[in-house]
Amino acid sequence: MNLLLDVLTTSAILYIVSAGLLLIFGVMKIVNFAHGAFLTVGAYASLVSARLGLPPVAGFAMALLVGAVVGMAIEWLVVRPLYARPLDAILATWGLAIVLGQLITLAFGREVQFVPSPVDGTFAFAGGEYSAYRLLLVGAAVVLGTVLALLLTRTRIGLVTRAVIMNEQLARGLGIHAGLVRFFTFAAGAGIGSLAGALITPLSSVDPNMGVPWLVNAFMLVMVSGVSMASLLVATLVFGAAQVLLSTFVSPILGGLAIAVLAAVTLRIRPKGFARD
Amino acid sequence: MTEPLVIATPPRSGAPLRLPGRALGLFGASIAVALVAPWLLDTYTLNILIRAMFFAMLALTVDVLWGYTGYLTFGQSAFFGAGAYAAGLVFTHLGFDPGHVWLAAGLAVLAAAAIAGLTGWLSFYSGSTPLYASVISLVLPIVMTQLLFSGGTFTGSSSGLTGYTMPDLSLEAWFRIAAGALVLLTAASWLVVRSDGGRLLAAIRDNEMRCAYLGIDTALLKIALLVVTAAIAGAAGFGYASFSGVVAPELAGFVFGTEVIIWVALGGRGTLIGPVIGALLIEWASAYLSGSLPFVWKLFVGIAFVLVIVLLPQGLLPPLLRVFGRAKRADLPALTVTLTEAPLAAHGTDATQPVIELRGVAKHFGSHQVLSGIDFVAHRGELVSLIGPNGAGKTTLMRCMSDGAERSAGTVRIAGHDIRHAPAHACVGFGLGRKFQTATIFETLTVAECLRMARVRIAAPSWWRRSTMLALPPYALEVLRATELDHKLDVQARHLSHGEQQALELAMVLALEPQVVLLDEPTAGLTLEERSRIGRVLVDLAGRFGLCLLLVEHDLDFVREISSRIVVLHQGKLALEGTVQEVVDSELVKTIYAGSGHD
Amino acid sequence: MTDMLRLDGVSAGYGEAMVLRGLNLAMPRGSIVALLGKNGMGKTTLLKAAMGFLPKAEGRVVIDGHDVTREPAHRIARGAVSYTPQEQALFADLGIRDNLRLGLANDAALNERMADIVDLFPFLKGRDAQRAGTLSGGEQKMLLIARALLSRPALMLVDEITEGLQPSVIERVGIALRRERERHGTTMLLVEQNVGFALAVADRYAVLKRGAIVIEGAAGDAGAAEAIRAQLRV
Repeated sequence: MNLLLDVLTTSAILYIVSAGLLLIFGVMKIVNFAHGAFLTVGAYASLVSARLGLPPVAGFAMALLVGAVVGMAIEWLVVRPLYARPLDAILATWGLAIVLGQLITLAFGREVQFVPSPVDGTFAFAGGEYSAYRLLLVGAAVVLGTVLALLLTRTRIGLVTRAVIMNEQLARGLGIHAGLVRFFTFAAGAGIGSLAGALITPLSSVDPNMGVPWLVNAFMLVMVSGVSMASLLVATLVFGAAQVLLSTFVSPILGGLAIAVLAAVTLRIRPKGFARD
Repeated sequence: MTEPLVIATPPRSGAPLRLPGRALGLFGASIAVALVAPWLLDTYTLNILIRAMFFAMLALTVDVLWGYTGYLTFGQSAFFGAGAYAAGLVFTHLGFDPGHVWLAAGLAVLAAAAIAGLTGWLSFYSGSTPLYASVISLVLPIVMTQLLFSGGTFTGSSSGLTGYTMPDLSLEAWFRIAAGALVLLTAASWLVVRSDGGRLLAAIRDNEMRCAYLGIDTALLKIALLVVTAAIAGAAGFGYASFSGVVAPELAGFVFGTEVIIWVALGGRGTLIGPVIGALLIEWASAYLSGSLPFVWKLFVGIAFVLVIVLLPQGLLPPLLRVFGRAKRADLPALTVTLTEAPLAAHGTDATQPVIELRGVAKHFGSHQVLSGIDFVAHRGELVSLIGPNGAGKTTLMRCMSDGAERSAGTVRIAGHDIRHAPAHACVGFGLGRKFQTATIFETLTVAECLRMARVRIAAPSWWRRSTMLALPPYALEVLRATELDHKLDVQARHLSHGEQQALELAMVLALEPQVVLLDEPTAGLTLEERSRIGRVLVDLAGRFGLCLLLVEHDLDFVREISSRIVVLHQGKLALEGTVQEVVDSELVKTIYAGSGHD
Repeated sequence: MTDMLRLDGVSAGYGEAMVLRGLNLAMPRGSIVALLGKNGMGKTTLLKAAMGFLPKAEGRVVIDGHDVTREPAHRIARGAVSYTPQEQALFADLGIRDNLRLGLANDAALNERMADIVDLFPFLKGRDAQRAGTLSGGEQKMLLIARALLSRPALMLVDEITEGLQPSVIERVGIALRRERERHGTTMLLVEQNVGFALAVADRYAVLKRGAIVIEGAAGDAGAAEAIRAQLRV
């Protein structure tokens, strides 16, 4: 039972962390290597909020806002000029990750810090006990996924965004300002990434380099999902399960590698990954 | 037709290696600095510089892979780490003696090469994308570091290996060794990238598909390149470990790999010297500034990196050189090339055997049938035009003829060889040439270099010399002469006019000495004059030289003028075939193609 | 009265290849002009250049008195210009209603105008959610016309709408276009290969050959069809 919950919660966490990256990749067709830095920014935003004595919800809201604002600045200054050079966009966003990391270190120092968990303790579950916060994160993932899905399918903005994802030139010809869509999508992706960072801090700790391992896993999951949120769900479940199973039954090291290696192999066999044709 | 171009000078092989004086001067000066510097610098600086020089060797390999060949790799550090750990492991577990030094060195190079072979096989295959190759290059160092972490006391886990006995050399000796090796490596790399063979790297970077259609197995070439650069990186790692006495998993890691990219980007990708200087300067500055302002320095480097990528993608070295008055392109100085005529190989096929044969060829995308039941044969000397409305499947048919992996059913034979599922470069090897609708050439290469690339399959280029002779078959020479490209041999291809680029591509395809040439809309975008000229050239190629030409065309006047046979494709099937007269006057063509017939 | 669309000495192409060379075209308000020519002669390039998808090496594009030579495509589209490309003109994975919605700047006018459109193309009724990619070729083309008409454009640029359609459907399309012009004075530039349809619907015709207009005239002229066919002949 605990194993199943491990798989569910791990997949949920992976989903929350990867959603923002997928949104950006889907609309803009570039990989935002600053995503790990957004996670870190969000984590520190929630740290600040906790220090100010604000309730946890405020921490999450702050993370979302700060992330979105930083995302807007980055899109305008760095990403937009690199529209035609996607590989260079990867490099530039990685450079930004370094810059953000250093700024955070200068402001907060290098030490590992902690944010108190909004929900403490364990939850009695079908005869066992399990971390309450982790279970909450499953709920958070469901909420996030649902909100994104609703936004994309039920609102006009979502429709316009999907149009840009499917065929940017056609969208332009119909009067859609693709540049604005890209701008707001990047901000949204950054905001969600920061929110994810705030959500995962109670699980471990906060330090300026916390984003890097998450970045690599999120990146591989996005590569394998193509541009589809539904595929991301499938990918996080499948690979999350692989990670947990390998970590538990073989070795944690191999478990840590599971996502990256499995994703690379999947892409070799089926370049579209989990996406439908 | 006018006389073919013939130059009487016999080709000279084994021409002496000519090097510009500036390069030799720089080489000499660097060696001098390497020898003298240890007397002028303090211990701390020497220490830092020695480490930095091993890193600079790594930066060189990244520049060759990324700057010259276009392969963005985050994983060269994995090979460096492999070499370092080879040294660390041997010296830690087997102790130290001269024999072990050789063992460790050999292990370093072999391990790195083996890992590179595997990585290359995973990354470079027919149909892989640059993004996928970069993804693999990212996964590699992560896997490496994790494996090192999990090695327990054998690999020292997260702390690595320290305190092993190292070769007993003075600091000054180490400096001279490292500096000497760096200078020699830089010089050798420079020789290779400027050589004829080295232009292949730029050709792959500029247009890999064109390379494939020139018969070059680009996957194999990239794997070989990766193995060689990995071996060098491994050797550098071995040197580093032997000097510093410490190996840690971070040496093989992703973060270090990206640091190397930063050095190359800042120094100037594709310049060799830029990355070397970049690595040395940044490492040296980091050592000094990290103590006093650690995070500000790293912040500064990060900002500089972002600015360079966005605003100065060629790096800092080229603009700096321009400021100092050297009008240096990152490209090579021009070399005067003389054209000669190559004797044509006798063809195995005689006039009665078909040069290209299709039987029952079909192609479907999912449930959508694009081509079905295509039976087609063509012989030497024929000029066949393939016409049909948009969406009839003409380009798909061309792809099925030139790439064994394309079709869903049927057989294709080129000069008697069944192509089965052979990739494009193999089909070219059977005797096929393909000219694309948009001029598919190598933008940054000169006309002569483009043509030399086309001869790679027939005349393997030197990997350290630049030849002044270029032998081409007579019909290729004719095309060059007719378009006056023979006077523009050292002009970069991107500076040619559209019509000239089309002519260059045709000459390149002809340089392959193909038996059958596929041409996709050869008149697209040409002026009236250029169109007549290419018409005459094509007729000549078929009539005088016996090539078999297959054209896809929309310009029906053109088709009418030059074709010996016309084939009509309609809704994926061969609807009609015959002489110009038969087809042009047929009802079928009038109704389905000429656009009228609705009243 | 100013022309609705004017191209003055426009040269445009792809990279180094110029497809249009110094092209001149003037369309008065409310006129329907058919642009004919064989493949590769520049018809689609002309539409793309006018619509702002291609940079113009030379010349000016003026729509309704505004110089739009440097304007991006989305801004031109917002200026009551509708462009129906020849290929990839629909979002195959979106439903019929969503495809129509994207033809308008916002959803407000949609319901009111839907009634009109369904009137014109009854097959659309009750199939709001059906994915556009599952429609037949003819139905897809009609959906395109519906989307274009929905926004009540002042200028319509249409690329080979009759390609692959049955004669009966072609007739319906022709009727719909003429009706729209009568009601709203829409100016239309129709790129066509179908000479019969072109002459039946348009006021004037022009034939494009190697990037320039070689002949033009009134569609009603006695020798028009012959003259055009002579230019297009095999």
